[in-house]
Amino acid sequence: MNLVILPVLLPLVTAVTLLFWGRPSPARRVLAATSAAAQLTVALALLARTLEAGWLVLPVGAWSARLGIVLVADPLAAVMVGLSSFTALAAVLYGFAEFRTALEHPLRLTLVQFLVAGINLAFLTGDLFNLFVAFEVMLIASYALLTLEADDWDVKQAFPYLAVNLTGSTLFLCAAGFAYRLFGTLNFADLAARAAAQPEDPRVIALALWLLVVFGLKAGLFPLYYWLPNSYPILPAPLAALFSGMLTKVGVYVLLRTFGTVLPHGLTGVHTLLAWLAGATMILGVLGALSRNFIRGILSYHILSQIGFMVLAIGLFTELAFAASIFYIIHHIIVKSSLFLIGGTAALLSRTDNLDRMGNLWRHAPGLGVLFLLQALSLAGLPPLSGFWGKYAILVVGLEQGEYVLVALAIVASILTLVSMLKIWNAAFWADAPEPAATQQDPRGRWMNRVTTGMVLVSLAVGLGAEGVFRVAQQAAARARDQAGYLRAVHAVVTKDAPDRP
Amino acid sequence: MNGPRSYLFDRLVRVVFFLLNGVALYLLLRGHNLPGGGFIAGLASAISLILLSLALGGEAMRRVVRGDPVLLAGAGLLLALGTGAAPLLAGRPFLEHFHVHLSGVPLLGEVHAGTPLLFDTGVYLLVVGITSKLVFVLTQSTRGLRALVAAEERRYSSPLESPIDEAAAREGENHRESAHEP
Repeated sequence: MNLVILPVLLPLVTAVTLLFWGRPSPARRVLAATSAAAQLTVALALLARTLEAGWLVLPVGAWSARLGIVLVADPLAAVMVGLSSFTALAAVLYGFAEFRTALEHPLRLTLVQFLVAGINLAFLTGDLFNLFVAFEVMLIASYALLTLEADDWDVKQAFPYLAVNLTGSTLFLCAAGFAYRLFGTLNFADLAARAAAQPEDPRVIALALWLLVVFGLKAGLFPLYYWLPNSYPILPAPLAALFSGMLTKVGVYVLLRTFGTVLPHGLTGVHTLLAWLAGATMILGVLGALSRNFIRGILSYHILSQIGFMVLAIGLFTELAFAASIFYIIHHIIVKSSLFLIGGTAALLSRTDNLDRMGNLWRHAPGLGVLFLLQALSLAGLPPLSGFWGKYAILVVGLEQGEYVLVALAIVASILTLVSMLKIWNAAFWADAPEPAATQQDPRGRWMNRVTTGMVLVSLAVGLGAEGVFRVAQQAAARARDQAGYLRAVHAVVTKDAPDRP
Repeated sequence: MNGPRSYLFDRLVRVVFFLLNGVALYLLLRGHNLPGGGFIAGLASAISLILLSLALGGEAMRRVVRGDPVLLAGAGLLLALGTGAAPLLAGRPFLEHFHVHLSGVPLLGEVHAGTPLLFDTGVYLLVVGITSKLVFVLTQSTRGLRALVAAEERRYSSPLESPIDEAAAREGENHRESAHEP
């Protein structure tokens, strides 16, 4: 049961150790990479255990959910922890190539570990206020990372991120207070039990809408996504990969958790609203991507468009839809973060990531071109790559429910995704560069390519082994929606305060 | 910013510093079952340090607080994590705490001691370290002085960036020179 705390504890201990170590050195890098690999191992062990047992509950401090905070790992949480560990490992390894040790920012690895600790706590917590704490840990680390290597222009771009997320946190705190006033508890299991007793209460619907705003803002849902597309491009490539992979997906995960596990399943109106907001996000996100002219900008807008797909599946709200959403999250995190890394390598080789001044990469770096094509086509959803299966499942659910307009929107968004990916392909890889000498060989590119190749292989495995991955997603979806099982698991755990008292 | 120093403020702060830390210790110890605890005690101690730095000035403060408050915070976090993680070794849940109740201790009578105090001390150190460092850095740079000493610069800033406070420092020097001119 203590396995549940390790994904939070390991990064924290690593972060403090790195802080004391101070100066970057090769040995310090080895420590960071080893810790990231260990975290991935722990996450996989956690996944294996939860697939077997359903729920692993850790009563922190041995207090029951009535008095203390519980951490709960179910297959969904374990999948997310695995993805965050995987992305962090890739980002850390890729980052090693970016600078020589002497030029590395001493705080970067430390802050990445704090960020991962916050992200993992958000996945594992079974308590609404503790979730707020996890968000704060994660956000504070992200504020620091966002402006760590920033110049004046970057700080200006980062400001909306700070302002919007602070507002979101305040709203979240208010929502937690509201929930406590309504139900007298903040524990997910107890909230679910008490909310289920009064599903028609308008205050429950108000709480659901409030949480929708808060987590929609974190996830980057229309019309609350303004903060994202301008702030992510200022990050260095490995950090952009980590941010784009994990941070908005924490929002999506929390939407899955609150609507699946915590709130009553009868809130049809809120679910429909969620689906339509997702539809708007899909289209507006991809239009934004088409309007951009540099790689990181295009990719940043794509995050939004993809968030739309995942949230659309949540809004459709069948068990299969949840499974589709979880599959899509798995696909998206790997593909999106590897695309940011590939974009970073392309920018390094071309000395710019402005599409107008790039070109000829296909001739200089054909390997990079293949990696990019695989991931870009996967993002657009061509079979047999992983993106196809995710979109296919979502579209099937949409057609089953007769949501033809939303399905049409999703298809249009997919086609436009392909168009914008081809825009990068044509300008950066295929066309001649305006200044032919601009593209250079760079020894750092080789190590970067090795890391991204690893990610692309995993992503290919997700596409080719889609059936197995989808089974895991289905099990995660079933567990995430099983409110009675969650409640039983949380209250079955042995604690030192008398568990038999009401 | 560096106006004439106030004698009254100087003397007062020297007394208040000890008073505040006494209050902080009291808050830290009573925090187990009553309002108080490591966080609020840490804030009280940090306020005492900040007051002292206002009275003495940043440069003199560096001679009082040797070493880097961030490392103090790191030690605190490590202590808190260690206290939390220790039960893991025995297969008990994370953060479980243990107590001993002693009676007949000389001078104190009954004592109820436990691992929560260790955890709270960790939180205390963390809060003192971070809060005082934040304020020291900010006051230094608003006065046009360098916020970090060379050793800290190597720890906390990239070799590629020019420190933000360098510009502030240059401006501050210009300002002081022009102030001396007339």
